[in-house]
Amino acid sequence: MVRSTPLPLRIAGKVFLVLIALFMLAPLAVVVGAAFNADQFLAFPPAGLSLEWFADAVADTTYTYPFLFSLQVALIAAVGAAAIGTLFAIGIARHKVPGSGALQSFALSPLTMPSIIFAIGILQTVSQLLGGSAAWILMLAHVVVTVPYVVRTVLGVIARSDGFTEEAVRVMGARWWQRYWHVLLPMCRPGIIAGGFLAFIVSFDDAVIALFLRTPQLQTLPLAIYGQLEFSASPTVAAVSTLSMALTAVSILAIEKIVGLGKVFS
Amino acid sequence: MRKRSAEPWLLVLPLVALLLIAFVIPVARTLLASFTTDSAGFTLSNFTRFFGSSVSLGASERSLRMAFIQTIVSVVIAVPLAYIMAGLSAKARAFMMIATILPLMTSVVIRTFGWVILMGPSGPLAKIPGFLELSQARQGLLGTELGVNIAMVQVLVPFAVLSVLGVINGIDGRLREASRTMGASFVGTFRHVVLPLSLPGIVSGATLCFALSISSFITPNLIGGAQLPVLAGFIYHDATVSNDIPFAATQAVLILAVVVVTIAATNRIANARMK
Repeated sequence: MVRSTPLPLRIAGKVFLVLIALFMLAPLAVVVGAAFNADQFLAFPPAGLSLEWFADAVADTTYTYPFLFSLQVALIAAVGAAAIGTLFAIGIARHKVPGSGALQSFALSPLTMPSIIFAIGILQTVSQLLGGSAAWILMLAHVVVTVPYVVRTVLGVIARSDGFTEEAVRVMGARWWQRYWHVLLPMCRPGIIAGGFLAFIVSFDDAVIALFLRTPQLQTLPLAIYGQLEFSASPTVAAVSTLSMALTAVSILAIEKIVGLGKVFS
Repeated sequence: MRKRSAEPWLLVLPLVALLLIAFVIPVARTLLASFTTDSAGFTLSNFTRFFGSSVSLGASERSLRMAFIQTIVSVVIAVPLAYIMAGLSAKARAFMMIATILPLMTSVVIRTFGWVILMGPSGPLAKIPGFLELSQARQGLLGTELGVNIAMVQVLVPFAVLSVLGVINGIDGRLREASRTMGASFVGTFRHVVLPLSLPGIVSGATLCFALSISSFITPNLIGGAQLPVLAGFIYHDATVSNDIPFAATQAVLILAVVVVTIAATNRIANARMK
């Protein structure tokens, strides 16, 4: 066993980790701190503790409507991405599809395309062919950007499971739907759920595509926050942001519990 | 033997159809739109307009410069971070994983909001003695390139870390041990074993950071403001406010071209290095 990393280096490593963790988490912590601040101006560290900005946030339709709309968009995008992405992953992993490598890169390609380029394309297509933006278009665009996450997580889960069960069930004369319902889908379930949660977070937090497709009716929560920041930030915005982060954090913990973050993100 | 059936195609088709209709067509239309104007058919006038405008060129120069700085800083942070993370205990690694992924998954708008509070003239950073003098930012870091760079690095680091971590985790641990038992120092092992082997991850992480940086506008707009326009900010403005989609598309295509060239160049360098 080699375990002779020199002590000064080990200490330097620890300090480095702490500094990076601080750097990464500071902007989030500051928003949470500002949301609980008793003072009526944005300040950090907080002068005293208060929940009044949360009460404000929950009562203010400037935020509640966008919140509900974002929730709706993200849920539909996640379900759509989970369904389409899972079918694709099963098809690629369980059958000999010609050109499967190319198909897989194609399925993941929305991840590498800068979203601003996709957003302009959608905006242009929509305004020229469909006469304007609509909620279903935003949802569809979010399915496109989130579906690669589901493909990746489900493929990852299938890769770690054995193919014999399915083969056995097939040989034993199971109908196609029995094969899917009793074997394939349960086998993929951790990947489907983790991918679905990821898709939900990505859609819920997206601002770029939503900004390009924005109309007065299509106002998502990140846009409502962005609009307030351009104008002037208030503690109420901090409270709204904190609630939104809480939802994200819960989803991440769920992913960690179901499949483990390390497996999903690398 | 399995018989040939339509089953695989039925499984694969929905996603392929979705991407063809809702991804390939929009992106192709962006490319095409850059060669049109409202009046003329095929034209290069958008490009001549772009390269004839000192405002556009100035913003491009700034975007490129900041993307380079941010990418380099992000990679310089991410590589040792991933290296250390790979050797941590399960618990410490899970914490660092959350510390990287929680910000990654938080809306860019909210993270930037945090930086706005931190960097404002009355924020905590401005209270550090000597900080403002050192950064030559009397009004806090808002409206400075340094401010935008700091906030953007926080956005980009997770992407770099995850790319590098993927490769480092794949490196056979015995290689490191062998290097150590053969007498190489910790740093020597890092330099001669881990670094070369994780080059593919570093390259893909760097290109990802660069592509994300040069096409982002929310953080530059909120922190840099109107004094520090970036190319992607112009794109957003032209597409949604002035309704000049062809010109917005032109600038987007130029960004895409820069990204593609960068990916090709870095891949070349990485391949040459690994031979």
